[in-house]
Amino acid sequence: MESRSPWYLAYRRLRRNRVALSFGALFVAIALFALAAPLWASDVAHTTPNATHTTETVEVGGEQREVVDREGGPIGPLWLGAGGRFFLGADGHLGRDEMVRLMYGGRTSLFVGVTAALITVLLATLLGLLSGYYRGWVDGLIARVLDVVWAFPVTLLGAALGLALALGGLRIGPIVISGDSVWVPILIIGFVYAPYVTRPVRGEVLALREQEFVEAAVSQGAGPLRIMFGELLPNVLSTLIVFFAISVANSMLLESMLSFLGVGVQPPNTSWGTMIAEGFELITSSPLLTVLPGAMLLLTVLAVNVFADGLRDALDPRAKRRLEVHAGQTEPEGTAA
Amino acid sequence: MRKLQAALFVAVLTMVAIGLSSCGGSGGKEGGTLSGSYASFPELDPTISFSAEGWTAMYDTYLPLLTYKHAGGEEGTEVVPALAESLPEVSSDGKTYKLRLRKGLKYSDGTPVKASDFTASIERMFKLDSYGSSFFTDIVGAEEFAETKSGGISGIKADDKTGEITIELTRPRGTFVNELALLYAAVLPADTPAKNLTGNPPPATGPYEIATVERGRGWTYKRNPEWAKSNAARIPEVPSGHVDQIDISVVRNASTQVNEIERDKTNWMQTVVPADLYSKVKNRYEGTQFRVEHPINVYFFWMNTSRPPFDDVKVRQAVNYAVDPAALERIYSGALAASHQILPEGMPGHESFDLYPHNMAKAKELLAEANPSDREITVWTDNESPNNDAGAYYANLLEELGFDVNLKTINADVYFQTIGNPSTSNLDTGWADWFADYPHPNDFIEPNFAAESPFNLSHLEVPKLDEKIAGLAEEQLDAQVEGEYAQLDRELMEQAPWAPYGTNTVSTFVDSEIELDKVIFNPTMGQDLTSFQFK
Repeated sequence: MESRSPWYLAYRRLRRNRVALSFGALFVAIALFALAAPLWASDVAHTTPNATHTTETVEVGGEQREVVDREGGPIGPLWLGAGGRFFLGADGHLGRDEMVRLMYGGRTSLFVGVTAALITVLLATLLGLLSGYYRGWVDGLIARVLDVVWAFPVTLLGAALGLALALGGLRIGPIVISGDSVWVPILIIGFVYAPYVTRPVRGEVLALREQEFVEAAVSQGAGPLRIMFGELLPNVLSTLIVFFAISVANSMLLESMLSFLGVGVQPPNTSWGTMIAEGFELITSSPLLTVLPGAMLLLTVLAVNVFADGLRDALDPRAKRRLEVHAGQTEPEGTAA
Repeated sequence: MRKLQAALFVAVLTMVAIGLSSCGGSGGKEGGTLSGSYASFPELDPTISFSAEGWTAMYDTYLPLLTYKHAGGEEGTEVVPALAESLPEVSSDGKTYKLRLRKGLKYSDGTPVKASDFTASIERMFKLDSYGSSFFTDIVGAEEFAETKSGGISGIKADDKTGEITIELTRPRGTFVNELALLYAAVLPADTPAKNLTGNPPPATGPYEIATVERGRGWTYKRNPEWAKSNAARIPEVPSGHVDQIDISVVRNASTQVNEIERDKTNWMQTVVPADLYSKVKNRYEGTQFRVEHPINVYFFWMNTSRPPFDDVKVRQAVNYAVDPAALERIYSGALAASHQILPEGMPGHESFDLYPHNMAKAKELLAEANPSDREITVWTDNESPNNDAGAYYANLLEELGFDVNLKTINADVYFQTIGNPSTSNLDTGWADWFADYPHPNDFIEPNFAAESPFNLSHLEVPKLDEKIAGLAEEQLDAQVEGEYAQLDRELMEQAPWAPYGTNTVSTFVDSEIELDKVIFNPTMGQDLTSFQFK
């Protein structure tokens, strides 16, 4: 009988999950769309995301049209009518190219989502390992600190921190982050979501540290660091991968909420959240300005969540089974053939 | 007989004419309940309220000794007596102001108004550290009182028997008449506690009193019972109003406010029609339910003249040439009236001129001549739309001129504190606006350009101009002084410490039941509630 690694088995299970793979492909397509922003901006739209075209005109079918009319109304989508310029129209009173901003906004949103999720998972891993391995007062201390963070609703805590840090910036020892840096929302989001991942990681570590392979490592004289990072971490990796994917989606959503409230990504940087906020002012006259970044955000979050779901099923098929049993969809474990 | 017929015919015609004029001319109903909406809940204590919303809310409720004429446009900038019998008698050295309280006035709770109430009201202003107290620090003893909050202000003498009030100033102050007409100086009973009374507003002297307050949600007015009995006949300068009751509710979303007006659910919105709906509302209702109003304000980009690159007048002039009013009109959705000077239209002393008509080539030429070595600049703006867009436009423009720009967008709640704080780093240039506290040119010139003023964002320091500013500040406003302010406006713009780009208009939007033509918009106080009348 040929032996297969758990990773290979997970890969095979994932490959069979067509829905998850389709949404994974959608996410890759969105990421490529965002990554292509500089190419589109320079070679097609001939502008930059922040360049204003307030008083300019654009030729459409031999006719000169104002990018922004005298009452501040932006031009609508021109598709390829002006050679790709203002493909999705202008973004508002400033007459910036909506398509270019949508692509650059996607880069920021994805960057914030992925980086904040990385910070969340790294923090959660460290705290979960320490807490689950040492137990006792270390566990108690970490748990109480996390309880404090947990006591605040995520959006409220994020908005409060965002407001405070957007004004004064952040200084951690020699590292100084200015208030308008994109790292401010990244660090905030990474921090506020950490407790939500730390708890399950800690639970898993608590269970794992009683396993025989840990006892074997102890009997071989392995120290705490080696046990935590050499024995326990590889065994919680599949959980962390799933949480990372879910955190990307959650982080992007929180970023857009904070940016909508004006305490997330700061101008001149643009993200889908800031675009929704800017477009909201013209929601009745130019609804596309809100709908487009909103739809991109929705698709990305959906793609990441469905893919993360598939990833979880692939990495931990028992989890799916447990969920199904919990939902009453199949018979309890052990009764099936 | 023919003569008799002719006389009868003339008499009938006259009666018909009188009848018609009474229908059309005075028109409108008396009484009824006016409903209005505000986007935010203002402070309803005249001593501390400093917002335009608050002033509109209390213009017809709390009267100072003097007030702004209940009229629109330039006429509305005139100061007229309110609780005082007449305008003050000013001594030849400009340091003593004498007024006399009208006799027989009463507060809405029936208490008689006394001259000493004025002293107590000014003291209350200092006790509360009201923003308005800065206009009254030139009263003898006021600065000491501001520190100690006890012992009274020695420069105010009030005689309850004669109603005479004498105010001694430490130096002549040409704007003092205007300042006495501000709501901060509204006369309240002497025993009014020195705390914010928004939740339980003090008794009124004007035609309306605030009857109920639901903090954050709205408030209502009823007719002041003492107005008709005691005050109305004695204060002919203040109209009695048409409606009997006014209900104000706070509706945060301006689009909802527009919607409610269109459906005749609310009679009036105090808030400006939002940019998104502005052109639609203007095109559909202008002249019947919508009117563009011109409060006295200026929107501008300031440049810090004390540090490179804006320490070079050529760089500042280049920026003035580069700023395009047409772009900014679009950014402000057509609500901006473009102008390129410090004193806006409607302000006494305003004379139109434009030293820097938009010319990008000229801007680049001047900049090439100046060739500033420091091209790294920070542009500041707040996060409120469309000022954030104006800031982004300005940053982009400076980049086009060859500067390396860092745009800082600050929360509007702390924006002016941040850019007004000298310890904030990289205060190079940015967006700002200035609204008139009162219609006097010094209110725009001295705070913004006097060398020692904390509001001097451009840090302009030209001794000759400084001397002129200080000299004019002591003069009572007349035609000659207005002319000198107009000249000063031009001289300041030659130094180009600002790139002014226009005046932002506001709007009056009422439903189909209200007589729009009769609604008065006072340039200092906003809509006059006594002028609202149902058709």
